[in-house]
Amino acid sequence: MSHDPIAEIGETHLLPPDTTFHHVTESVSRVTENKAPRGWWILFLLSLALAGCLLASLTYLVTAGVGAWGNNNPVMWAWDITNFVWWIGIGHAGTLISAILFLFRQKWRTSINRFAEAMTIFAVMCAGLFPGIHTGRPWFDYYMFPIPNQMALWPNFKSPLMWDVFAVSTYFTISLLFWYVGLIPDLATLRDRSKTAKRRAIYGAFALGWRGSNRHWRNYERAYLILAAISTPLVLSVHSVVSFDFATSVLPGWHTTIFPPYFVAGAVFSGFALVMTLLLIARTVFQMQDIVTMKHLELMNKFMLATGSLVGYAYAMEFFIAWYSGNPYEWHVFRSNRLAITVGEGGVSMAGSYWWAYWAMIFCNVLVPQTFWFKKLRTSIPWMFAASILINIGMWFERFVIIATSLHRDFLPSSWGYFSPTIIDITLYIGTIGLFGTLFLLFIRWLPMIAIAEVKGVLPHADPHHGTPGDHAPLDAYVAAESPAE
Amino acid sequence: MTRRDPHDPPAMWRSLEDKADPERPSRRAQAEAHDPDGFISADAIVSRRGFLTLSGATAAAVGLSGCIRRPVENILPYSRAPEYVIPGVPMHFATVTERRGDALGLLVESHEGRPTKIEGNPDHPATEGATDVWAQASLMDLYDPDRSQRAARRDGAGNLADAGDTTAAAHQAFEEALGARLEEHDADGGAGLRLLVQPASSPSFLRLRRAVRERFPSARFHTWSPLSSSNLRQGAWLAFGLPVHVHQDFARARVILALDSDFTMTEPGAVRNQRRFANGRRLESPSDDMSRLYVVEPSPTVTGASADHRLRLPARDVGRYLKALCRELASNHGVDFGAVTGALGSPSTEGIPEKWLGAVARDLAESRGQNVVVAGSRQPPAVHALVHALNRALGNIGRTVGFTPAVDPEERDQVTDLRELAEAMGAGDVRTLIILGGNPVYDAPADLGFAESLGDIEFSVHLSMHRDETSRRCLWHVPRAHELEAWGDMRAIDGALSVQQPLIAPLWGGRSEIELLAQVAGERNWRGHSIVRRTMRESMGQGTGFERFWRRVLHAGVVPGTAVAPGGDLPIREPEIASAVRDLRDPEGALGADDLEVTFAPCPKLFDGRHANNTWLLELPDPISKICWDNAAYLSPSTAAALGVENGQMLRLSREGAEDIEVAAWVQPGQADFSIGLLLGWGRAHAGRYGDGRGFDVYPFRTSTALGFASGVSVRPGATGYLLAQTQEHGSLEGRAIAIEGTLEEYRDEPRFPKFQTVEMNIPPLWDTVDYQGHKWGMSIDLTTCTGCNACTIACQAENNIPVVGKRQVARGREMSWLRLDRYFVGEDENDPRFIMQPIGCVHCEEAPCENVCPVNATAHSPEGLNDMAYNRCIGTRYCANNCPYKVRRFNYFTFHGYLEGDGVLGGDYYGVPEVKQMQFNPNVTVRMRGVMEKCSYCVQRIQEAKIRSRRTGEPIQDDWFTSACAQACPSHAIVFGDLNDPNSEVARLRQRDRAYLLLAEVGTRPRTTHMAAVRNPNPEMNG
Repeated sequence: MSHDPIAEIGETHLLPPDTTFHHVTESVSRVTENKAPRGWWILFLLSLALAGCLLASLTYLVTAGVGAWGNNNPVMWAWDITNFVWWIGIGHAGTLISAILFLFRQKWRTSINRFAEAMTIFAVMCAGLFPGIHTGRPWFDYYMFPIPNQMALWPNFKSPLMWDVFAVSTYFTISLLFWYVGLIPDLATLRDRSKTAKRRAIYGAFALGWRGSNRHWRNYERAYLILAAISTPLVLSVHSVVSFDFATSVLPGWHTTIFPPYFVAGAVFSGFALVMTLLLIARTVFQMQDIVTMKHLELMNKFMLATGSLVGYAYAMEFFIAWYSGNPYEWHVFRSNRLAITVGEGGVSMAGSYWWAYWAMIFCNVLVPQTFWFKKLRTSIPWMFAASILINIGMWFERFVIIATSLHRDFLPSSWGYFSPTIIDITLYIGTIGLFGTLFLLFIRWLPMIAIAEVKGVLPHADPHHGTPGDHAPLDAYVAAESPAE
Repeated sequence: MTRRDPHDPPAMWRSLEDKADPERPSRRAQAEAHDPDGFISADAIVSRRGFLTLSGATAAAVGLSGCIRRPVENILPYSRAPEYVIPGVPMHFATVTERRGDALGLLVESHEGRPTKIEGNPDHPATEGATDVWAQASLMDLYDPDRSQRAARRDGAGNLADAGDTTAAAHQAFEEALGARLEEHDADGGAGLRLLVQPASSPSFLRLRRAVRERFPSARFHTWSPLSSSNLRQGAWLAFGLPVHVHQDFARARVILALDSDFTMTEPGAVRNQRRFANGRRLESPSDDMSRLYVVEPSPTVTGASADHRLRLPARDVGRYLKALCRELASNHGVDFGAVTGALGSPSTEGIPEKWLGAVARDLAESRGQNVVVAGSRQPPAVHALVHALNRALGNIGRTVGFTPAVDPEERDQVTDLRELAEAMGAGDVRTLIILGGNPVYDAPADLGFAESLGDIEFSVHLSMHRDETSRRCLWHVPRAHELEAWGDMRAIDGALSVQQPLIAPLWGGRSEIELLAQVAGERNWRGHSIVRRTMRESMGQGTGFERFWRRVLHAGVVPGTAVAPGGDLPIREPEIASAVRDLRDPEGALGADDLEVTFAPCPKLFDGRHANNTWLLELPDPISKICWDNAAYLSPSTAAALGVENGQMLRLSREGAEDIEVAAWVQPGQADFSIGLLLGWGRAHAGRYGDGRGFDVYPFRTSTALGFASGVSVRPGATGYLLAQTQEHGSLEGRAIAIEGTLEEYRDEPRFPKFQTVEMNIPPLWDTVDYQGHKWGMSIDLTTCTGCNACTIACQAENNIPVVGKRQVARGREMSWLRLDRYFVGEDENDPRFIMQPIGCVHCEEAPCENVCPVNATAHSPEGLNDMAYNRCIGTRYCANNCPYKVRRFNYFTFHGYLEGDGVLGGDYYGVPEVKQMQFNPNVTVRMRGVMEKCSYCVQRIQEAKIRSRRTGEPIQDDWFTSACAQACPSHAIVFGDLNDPNSEVARLRQRDRAYLLLAEVGTRPRTTHMAAVRNPNPEMNG
């Protein structure tokens, strides 16, 4: 290319400069139109098997009772709420990428936002499952909703769990709407490319009669902006509210004002990590390296470095305050239950009960993202894949550390206990991963996994302008090549 | 209601018709017999309910648990209401129960004919309104679904088989067989007829024994119980030449020295001892005195845990210690032992710290006439005799120690008695053996060969609640009536006579000991009611007004004027004591890893094994080790290190002359070195569905010469990893001000010392605090007088329908007890800690952290300040329990009431609860389903009852109208419940007491329960 205005003004291309509209449409749409590759089938069947395992475990759980979990007294919450917070945290990246980055005009988000939004929705679905099934009598869960009834039952709005109900359901509703609104132009593209009547009818119905008129675009853009504006505070509120479950209690290790920002940072951190994991797989399986480029990946790694450092700071500050406050119960939780380094006669030893969970968390969440200071590691696909998985393991441990290690040894030593999971704990957790995988793979197979219209919007050709003749040679060539329908 | 055989005698008090003719089937029973659809015979293998349970479980298994139709249950009104019975209003009946030769007077609550709760009879001298753990738990024995329901005879294959198709037919078959047999004996005067009985404290039993001897002059009675008081009796006989009971007044004693004596829990008279001991230590103000308790014992007991100074000493060295102490007193303090002095010799003081002789002797010498020395029943008679000499020399007799005549003066040394029987059986001299109660095949000394020769006896009968180990070796088994089902009478050790009044007709047609004995004696009217009345009438003489007297006795529970004050003017027989003490040789050689001692103690839960199928007791945590569902071999930490043994490792114990046994090891701080503590009563083979195979049977190791302890034991450690489930795994206070204790000196220096250890919340509340007008319920728990005996825990369980969860669930940390007893070890030396007990249930915080986190308002504050649970609202988020700083909330992870009935895979189901067990439920307390949180309610049902009474009568609620179940049961009176707004209430006074503190006050919860710091009274000379 002889003349490259983007390079000339000192910017780099988000996508290769020779990417055409057609190429974008083609490479995204064909995933839904061609036969699924073998890799998809393997992953799908595996996920479906795990989702079946979830169903079986749920049946058993409801039949036998929540004693099927390993929870006990004092550890009344364990994997159930750990999984809930973990999934909710993962669900944060979607809104953040879609809404906040949209409002900040971060154009690089276009290649990953659909992906992240879908992930959010499925993650929130998995998250929402846990509070529903961890209750002793799940068939009465509706007591938590403010439904007028003859029993004069009304929820207790003082309870952070109630706030959770509203925060999570609002978040889910808005995220779903946002995702769906963003999908409409792309659904129309798929409708127009349909070769069968059935396909045309289904996509057509969901495309809501989209014809790409100027008026449609205007309404669409406005709706999208409004939803983005509504979603933005939700990114902060949902996980803040989730953190109130802990922060408003009296339990040492939970009763901490640092929790809301700490939880939000952690949520974004884990959400980005999961987007990264999924993106790297999909990008390879469906060969979309030219739409999701190294530039995107590197930017995401920088995000993880930033949020990982925030999380690390929160860990340190939490620890400092536990010591500085002089509260013996809180200091005990940090020193003995978590850090667990005992300096005794036999030298330094790890003597606490959950030291392994705490140190796994520190390694995964604090040390691993620090490697992204190095460009070489930041742009290494194998390393970033490994790091993204480690970060999510670390974030699971973070929630487990907060919940179980605080609970298992609190005020009265006579009540101290220890939690160990049962098979059901494990199958329910793995099962939700299966459910998530199943939904996500179906999404990839039936919906455009990358926002076609938005990616096109950030291509240079979408921004035609006057200039010297020849400036628009690529555009002219493009116009000639594209079909009129585009 | 009861599921009974239609031909069984009907339940007591059901109607006046029943009362008039108890033999006639009731209308309902007749109706039931003709309406197979409406009532299920007990014989049906798969009952309608059972079928529905199965189908329900199946439906649940396919995920339809929400759609199960509940079985139709009909509630039938009385067609003719019995007089006095008002549905919903419980009645109380006075009765009595036997405990180690003593009688405990009880008041039993009955709801529409079902006894549901047992309390102490305030008018009875042995209980004074309190009870012990076994009295509280005996309801579960009554409603044990595995009780034998029919007389049975050994069949050709050697198994017991029902002797008839109905209870009545089976009894008839037995009576015919017995009658024929006795007729044969009429010819030979009872030659070859032996009766093996329990130690008797019943006047009717003594009368019938005479009657049997009249009919069969050659018949012989033998007495056996595994936990006998024979050593006490023989020691007293040595010292005084008379069969007497010894009474100690622990309330008046300033110094108490307990030598291997758990006098507050397992020794005879424990309930009254505990009350008196607590009274001697109750501190109203810093100027009050309290007694000082020294305990010398091998294995920690609740008495040892209450001690101001505790010396862990192997049981065999206790006699040596006593001799050395007497020597010290005689030599350095001028205590005159008379002729006994010479017998003391110069015992070795190896292993006994000097201060335990010098300082203890000085303390005893300085408190002459105001102290008590007491020895435990497993110590040999010579030790008891020397204790009597010591008490006499110290001038205690007549002041703090007194005597009353023995109830059964004929009682002999039980081992000798049983040995004679076993020898006669072995020699073939016994043709007919009638065993009334007990379980000698399980608990007789292993070397007597009793069990082996029992099977060879031509005609043997065992009267027993279960078809247990002994029944299975007898020709006949006869179901025995529970104490709450049968008429009887009993004397306490101070002579107080009580009538045992049944609360319910025998559920399974059982007979009592005296009824069977009356049949043997050939009495025409052998019903318990007639026997007891006849005994009473005979003892009264032919006076008038018997009916009036009888009704009064039944109402009061004790015959007025029968209790005698212990007297003290018995002459002591010094030469006999001297010769016994001379024979009390110092043990040879030192104990070590290859020469260990074992001690046998009654289990503080299962006692001697008679409660082995009682789920409440099986799950009750041991007061010291906090182990449930098992016993273990207790080793001191240093012994465990020397043997290389860890917790849960199997030990094979061997000793010459005894069978080897295998027991799991448990490292018990406070255990004497090289002494292994074993608890009796476990490892039953035929206890029932809950008790079979639980724990380890140590009876095979207990021989006739070593009933209390034995040395020369070697240990072979085996496989590791036996699971011992504990309810409290962490015993250190971690330096926290939780169970606060101080010395009497510290208390006098600063009476408010607990408040300096806790931090009161100084932050002003964010909102206005509630000013509670009207009632303001509160509780006070005194850690000084609490011994940790567990009576409150079982009382709470019985009152509040609290389920048991089984060993696996306890190991998971899911026990349900609303009131738990926390036991902490205090001190640096892990081999020899001090103990502190802290009962804790919900403290009913005024600012309850549990309340504002519940999303569905299932736990909320009442206007009287109770932290109430609305079970119907609870969906089980468990958030409240997480936010409870006291961790007193309990969650129904499964349907625990039915959990033990199945294999636990489907989590239990309420309809699996045996119907007879459902009879125990307190109808005033909701039976919680799975998935629901529960916790101490301050016995809100009792509060409501009192409020209803107040509204009805117009009187304000008085402090003595009611109390919580735990407070009512507590023999120490350590727990007090009442209205804090009532200026006359005890609890309001106690809350203002200087020692009172609020647990975890710094969290800002403002609890309604106050604890009062434990005050110890150590001897300053014993320090260092």
